[in-house]
Amino acid sequence: MINSVLLFCLSSELYNHLVITPQSPVLEIGTNFTATCMIINTDEITAKDLYWNLSDITVSNKQYTKINSSSLSVTIPVIGEKHEWLFCFCKEVSNYVYLNRSKFRHGIILTKGYRPGKPENLSCEAVQVKMEISSTITCVWKKVGRSSTDVPTKYTLYVKELGRNHSKETNGNSSQVNLEIFPHHMPMEIWVEAHNKLGRIESGHLSKDADSFVKTNPPSDIKVISEKTFPTSLLINWTHPIAEEYLKLTYQIRFCQNGSQSWTYVPLVDTDKYIQSFRLQNLRPDTVYVIQVCCKNARRGHGYWSNWSTNATMRTPEGSKLTGKPDLWRIITKVDGVNERQVRFITKDPVFANGRIQRFHIKIQDKKDKVKSRSEEWERIPVNRSEADGSSSQREITFLKQIDLADERSVRVYVTAFNSVGESAQASLFIPDKAYDLAPVEGLNLSSHGGQLWLEWKAPKNKAVSEYVVEWAANGWTDWQRENRTTTHTVIKGNLEKFVCYTVSVHPVYSGWTGKPASVQAFVEEGAPLEGPEIVDRKLGRNDVELVWKEIPQDKRRGFITKYTIFYKNGSKTHSVTVPANTTSYTLTSLSGNTRYDAWISASTIGGSARSLNHSFWTLKYGECKRSPRIEMSWLIKENFWPQIPNPGESTIGTWSPHHPVKADTPKENCLSGISVLDVDVCDGKCVFEEDKASLPLKKDKYLSEEHSSGIGGSSCMSSPRQSVSDSDEGGDMADTTASTVQYSSVMASNGYKGQTPSSQPQQAIFSRSESTQPLLDSEENPDMLLQEGSKHSQRFPRQPCFTHTAQNKDSTDPADCHQREMEQQELLEPLDFYPLEEDSEQTTPTEGQSADWLPAAPASSYMPQRGGYRPQ
Amino acid sequence: MCGFCLLKKFEKQCDYDESSQFACDTERRMNGHVKSMHFQQLMETAAALLSLLLVMAVDSTRTVAASRNQECGNSLQQTLKLTRLVQKESVDLIKTYKASQGEMAELFCKVTVADVPDPNISGLEPSERLASISIHLQAFFPHFKRVYEQQTDLQSPTSPLLAELTTVSTRSKNLATLINSFYQSLFPNLPVPEPAGGPTTLPPPQNVFQQKVYGCVVLKTYKELLANVSRELRTLKNKVCRRRIQINTLFL
Repeated sequence: MINSVLLFCLSSELYNHLVITPQSPVLEIGTNFTATCMIINTDEITAKDLYWNLSDITVSNKQYTKINSSSLSVTIPVIGEKHEWLFCFCKEVSNYVYLNRSKFRHGIILTKGYRPGKPENLSCEAVQVKMEISSTITCVWKKVGRSSTDVPTKYTLYVKELGRNHSKETNGNSSQVNLEIFPHHMPMEIWVEAHNKLGRIESGHLSKDADSFVKTNPPSDIKVISEKTFPTSLLINWTHPIAEEYLKLTYQIRFCQNGSQSWTYVPLVDTDKYIQSFRLQNLRPDTVYVIQVCCKNARRGHGYWSNWSTNATMRTPEGSKLTGKPDLWRIITKVDGVNERQVRFITKDPVFANGRIQRFHIKIQDKKDKVKSRSEEWERIPVNRSEADGSSSQREITFLKQIDLADERSVRVYVTAFNSVGESAQASLFIPDKAYDLAPVEGLNLSSHGGQLWLEWKAPKNKAVSEYVVEWAANGWTDWQRENRTTTHTVIKGNLEKFVCYTVSVHPVYSGWTGKPASVQAFVEEGAPLEGPEIVDRKLGRNDVELVWKEIPQDKRRGFITKYTIFYKNGSKTHSVTVPANTTSYTLTSLSGNTRYDAWISASTIGGSARSLNHSFWTLKYGECKRSPRIEMSWLIKENFWPQIPNPGESTIGTWSPHHPVKADTPKENCLSGISVLDVDVCDGKCVFEEDKASLPLKKDKYLSEEHSSGIGGSSCMSSPRQSVSDSDEGGDMADTTASTVQYSSVMASNGYKGQTPSSQPQQAIFSRSESTQPLLDSEENPDMLLQEGSKHSQRFPRQPCFTHTAQNKDSTDPADCHQREMEQQELLEPLDFYPLEEDSEQTTPTEGQSADWLPAAPASSYMPQRGGYRPQ
Repeated sequence: MCGFCLLKKFEKQCDYDESSQFACDTERRMNGHVKSMHFQQLMETAAALLSLLLVMAVDSTRTVAASRNQECGNSLQQTLKLTRLVQKESVDLIKTYKASQGEMAELFCKVTVADVPDPNISGLEPSERLASISIHLQAFFPHFKRVYEQQTDLQSPTSPLLAELTTVSTRSKNLATLINSFYQSLFPNLPVPEPAGGPTTLPPPQNVFQQKVYGCVVLKTYKELLANVSRELRTLKNKVCRRRIQINTLFL
């Protein structure tokens, strides 16, 4: 080092007066580094004139050490991975120094890095190519420690054969070495060395027989032989993947029933030999098995297991004997209206069918009717099973028979199964009469974990249970399993699907008699509902609205609904209310009047939530009408009989039919309709909107006077300032008022008045206003114009016919019908924005005795025609 | 510990152990007969201890010998496996060789050719026979090289024959290395076997027919050598690796 520095000094003698040692060091991050600056060939300066800079920053003189008058050292911590310059400078202590500044500075670059870490987990593998082991050996290892950009760590893989060495360098954590041939039966030593400018370190050495690194192909040509005489056995043959001289192998075999992923492994002690065939035993007859074989170096602890061979599939021969009995069960459904039950008998094949089931025999014996020969006969139910049927590990469920069984009757059912060889033992089941209830199990509890449903229950008291049947049903599919009488907890063994609601029942069986089941519903796993609840109705108020929604259909819930959250939004502010899962309506309160809200409902399960469509509504500008009972009658009369005619005194009635019945289902207008001039009187001021009037062409004194002309008052909420507009704002004697308005009211009831609506319904000829001296209503004169006026609303609110009281259209006046249609329309209209006319329609308040179903109905439709009708006035 | 030392120790104990002072005094009062009895007992104990040490030493030797024997057996087993592999590959090679020489290939191999190494293993002692195996194997290397060169001219570069020739040649070198290693582990004080008569004599330049015949004879002879090696190694297994146990047993 010193020599090199001196050489450098000599070479730079003519140029530099400062020299740093060491030159271009590679430093380990985390250590301290000391450099020394020496003054050469000058007396102009001394060590006290020197200072150090690390990049642009002057190093504190606390880190300096004066070696002698011409040498100054500095010690700095090595931090950061980025290389840096370390400079030795001299203060400008003289003119000479100032003029020869470049000679009084020297810098070295500090390259930083980490010492290499010892590579770990070295493993090497040579795979089979064609009929030999590849001469390329591949090794992987785990890098340890960090590496900087300036001091990268490289790795050299060494493979040492007897007499030959190979190596290969890489930056990564794996490498390959190509040997001339794969050195079977030769010792081999492999290791990897990590190295960089700061040092080198070797991994542990793998010193093994070369064959320890071999991974062969799996055995090929696997043949499975089924021999008729051995129904519980299959013979497997295969070909060694590689010649014995290269490698002696040991084998492993696994098998499973077709369709099952549950492999059974043949114990290694049985196959741990250099074999080419093996006989699987104790298999089930007439069952399709899938078999796989793999192999490795026979020497224990040496080599890698090959991949598993491709599937070899074979069905075991049919057995000679059918053991066990069918698993008979029933599904009982109550028949509505009659005292009968519908009983369906289903069965599973015997566990050890030992062959393909060809038919079942069933006998249903009525307990009270034993002697009847018919019931004693065995009924033959053939079963057509395909080859593939038996390949599944799940037992087949066969529908046998369906009967209608009177509630008071009980039957005993017997079933046997047949394969090609013989008959199974008899299975029997008793269906007791309905009144004969045997005790159910108690405390049935169900939990879900690990993708399975776990049940536990307590045995019924005072009853000796012979066994339990655990039944689970979903989407019309039923399955069951039997548990012995000592069982009180089990897991459902069937393939259960996620997000499906299963009804799990435990039936105690008392010597063949099935007891009352205990049932619970459960999901294996819950998810978010597929859709949100549907908002089906709303009841608007000024400061509140009641939302009614429908439950999500069962198949779309995908979990138990834990709660509903109602969100409503006015502008950008969103509020929410959480209600229990058993709620299907809720009244939102503290809303602002005459304000548009967007609402939606979110249904939650533990797996997530789903929201409904957006539902927009406007709160009413005015509150609900509240009529006193006292005026109810007069109101009704007025409503039904008082025509909205500008000046009834100038009119004469050409025809009058006092016998014309007043229709009970006259349009049930309400104060909110705001469209009937008559209504205005019976409602308080809140029921009429400023906008309404503003928007109406009838915003005239006349209109207003007409509005109040009926004189039928008595509304408990008649305190609106609007009332003062009227110049005939008398409370009015109810009787008088009613009397004075009879004719007009009857006109209205005759539907002639309503006929002004653009309903295009033919006018009833019962009443006529043709003799009236007052100008005809616009609709009377220009029905087309009326239609035009109302067309917009007719299209948007085609529920108008509901209010057309014609004999021909009686059906349409049915409130329910109307409501239904209205709802349909409403759904269509949901996305539409409300505009003033719609506001009218929205702000409908039900009158007393009026079906709430009518609520959103009439307004616009009944309003618009009348507007049109009145306009010419 | 020797019996004498034990006696000394006992006397020392009488001098310093106060608790046993009375017993010691009593014994001192007894006559020389008593003393001689003590000496006799101590001598018996010493003899027993000596026997135990001997047994332990012998057992240890036996364990080491068994370990060595296992090592020997493993090495020989590996050598034998490799021999069988080369044997198999040489059989395959001859088939490939015959298949690639055109017509009359069978006849080529029936001709006798000079200058091909003798496939027979010589020597009386296991060391000599092992050395002979090594020397014979090494003697074939130049012949393989010559055959490879000749066949390179006769075959296409992608011919499987050339690849198989390379494989057998390399594998033979591995076998020779393994045998040398085994030889050195068994007879560390003997020189590494090398052909005694200097470099192997190769045949003079040959025509194509002669080359084909020569190649086949080399391979066939080599196959014979391998059969002999295989047989020899099986024999040596009993002689070399088990004899040490016998020696140890005799020692006992």
